[in-house]
Amino acid sequence: MPVKFLTADKLQIFIDRLLASSTVFSPSNQPGNVIRYTQANKPEDICIDYVNSDISPKELFFPQTEELFSFDQTDEGIDLRVQTGYKPKVIFGMRACDVKALLTLDPVFNSQWPDPHYAKNRNETIIICLACDKALSTCFCNTFGIDPVAPEGADLVLISYGSGYIIEECSYTGRELRELYQDLLTQEYVHLEKIKEEKRKQLSEQFVHHVSPSKAKETMDNNFELPYWDEISRKCLGCGICTYVCPTCHCFDIFDYAPEETTGSRCRCWDSCMYGDFTKMAGGHNPRPTKKERVRNRFMHKIKYHLDRYGIEGCVGCGRCIVKCPVNMDITSIITDLGEVK
Amino acid sequence: MNQSFNSLTEELRSVAQELLREGKVNMFIGFGQGTLTARTTPLFISKPDAAAALTWSPFCSNNLAGYLLDYRETNETIGVLVKGCDSRSIIRLLQDNQFPRSRLVVIGIPCAGLLDSEKVTLELGPQTEIGDVTDEDDNFLVSTTTGQHRFAKKDYLLPKCLECIDSNPVICDHFTGKKINIGEVNERFVEIKSLEALSPQERSRYWDGYFQNCLRCYACRNVCPACNCRECIFDQAGPDWVSKRNNLSENTAFQIIRALHVAGRCVDCGECDRVCPVNIPLRHLNQKVLKDIDELFDAPMPGTDLEQQPVLGHYCADDPDEFK
Repeated sequence: MPVKFLTADKLQIFIDRLLASSTVFSPSNQPGNVIRYTQANKPEDICIDYVNSDISPKELFFPQTEELFSFDQTDEGIDLRVQTGYKPKVIFGMRACDVKALLTLDPVFNSQWPDPHYAKNRNETIIICLACDKALSTCFCNTFGIDPVAPEGADLVLISYGSGYIIEECSYTGRELRELYQDLLTQEYVHLEKIKEEKRKQLSEQFVHHVSPSKAKETMDNNFELPYWDEISRKCLGCGICTYVCPTCHCFDIFDYAPEETTGSRCRCWDSCMYGDFTKMAGGHNPRPTKKERVRNRFMHKIKYHLDRYGIEGCVGCGRCIVKCPVNMDITSIITDLGEVK
Repeated sequence: MNQSFNSLTEELRSVAQELLREGKVNMFIGFGQGTLTARTTPLFISKPDAAAALTWSPFCSNNLAGYLLDYRETNETIGVLVKGCDSRSIIRLLQDNQFPRSRLVVIGIPCAGLLDSEKVTLELGPQTEIGDVTDEDDNFLVSTTTGQHRFAKKDYLLPKCLECIDSNPVICDHFTGKKINIGEVNERFVEIKSLEALSPQERSRYWDGYFQNCLRCYACRNVCPACNCRECIFDQAGPDWVSKRNNLSENTAFQIIRALHVAGRCVDCGECDRVCPVNIPLRHLNQKVLKDIDELFDAPMPGTDLEQQPVLGHYCADDPDEFK
């Protein structure tokens, strides 16, 4: 079948023109060899030679710190100002798991009662994906039926092939964008499905974890109390790494930042259910007083609660929490262990 | 010295089993097999038979001493496995009365260095299973499902291990294996000296690059045995010493306050540096403080001697400076 093809040397021109016409965010190499999505100002800022970013692009839609509005008390009363500095943007280089994570966040922030900040980011962002060529030993997106070479939710996908990339448009927006670059593309005749199938096969050989969350969910459905949570939570440090690198974790805290008391801003900040004070109530009561309740909550949320509430899984198998956990708390072994509970 | 880690593991298992069987400890904290190549995981066992799951290898990087803080308020007697560097944390915890000596059994193990699991995995491939490891002084010989691999210590050890000053625990009740001598190590504070030589602007640029990526996940604080405040100032609802807002200014304040708070209690176990998800070289921050302690107080590394008063934890009447 005919496909649109972009040769590797034309990719450079594609990126140059993209940078000249839009606000572009992409994976970049940060101090300490950390891959994180930042605004790209020049082509060298863009890193495409990466498997999975250290920090997920969730922060481009739901930033770690977001000013909701600012306030100022004047003689006439209180003056409220809502930040309106949104700019439409293009994300270049996302992976399938991270786009799926947005589909997981959408029902939380952008359905019946849309959150204006998230909705604005979500509705005015064009997503260009890079199909995966390599899997990390911690990748397990296959568990959740994610297709790493055909990302669901992308506008445009670049699939590496031969001396360049096959360009696949997945939305009306993607098509419009592709048409802008028509002059850079050639028409090639390839068996696209076969190419994708070959890539899937290569990737599936690299996946180390093969787990079945449905059995774990069944255990969770029937057991809230399990001695397992006491055992497994002992090693947890109660830090926020897993929740902060997770592309689907979305808990936040709202507070006023007002050093001058009458002038300041109301901010929304990431929070973590792993923190001891996360569910601490005024008066001191804490329904999740120990690590056991907190660890249980996180995994129940990933495997059960999100699915029950929204009909979509709360984990996308990006494996970041496995890579980064200082004590090797591994969600795939927890899924396996719970699946074996009789 | 050609010491096999499997034979040390066997010895460790029988020590732990014995302690649990005789009721000398209620809980033993050691290492178990991890879920990834070259990774181990902290293991908590309370039944003698479970000691068979214990393991010891150059991949046992966690400092387990910090877990004692989780058992401060219990009546349990805890057995904890420590390497040389970790054992300094035990001494500092005892000096600060953070854990009663009567409920603590320290199991020491000699350590010839820890291998960087990320580097080793890159070399071995992710699906390789690791069997026995042998210490060959300059290398570790690692037996795997894909054959034997030699890892030169100078290239594959964690940076802190190249400057190790305590290859044997400085405090312990049960010693596993034989004491070792790792010979010459690298000079300490080399990187600190080069950071000190930078202009303030250059130094600021160096740290800003890292601190702007700080996620404020508090893994550095939570893994740190020296961070043993019952309520951390960064968790206090008020006053708002450091705001929850993530930005360079607040992140820098957090990191600098933490480094100064653990001054005199940090024993350079390097855990903060190892766990940081955005690779901030936190050890450089703490090592600057350690270098100052070394130069200003002429005191040994904190946690080296149980009897020696902590540098910032005591005073003497004949102090050369006025107390102001």
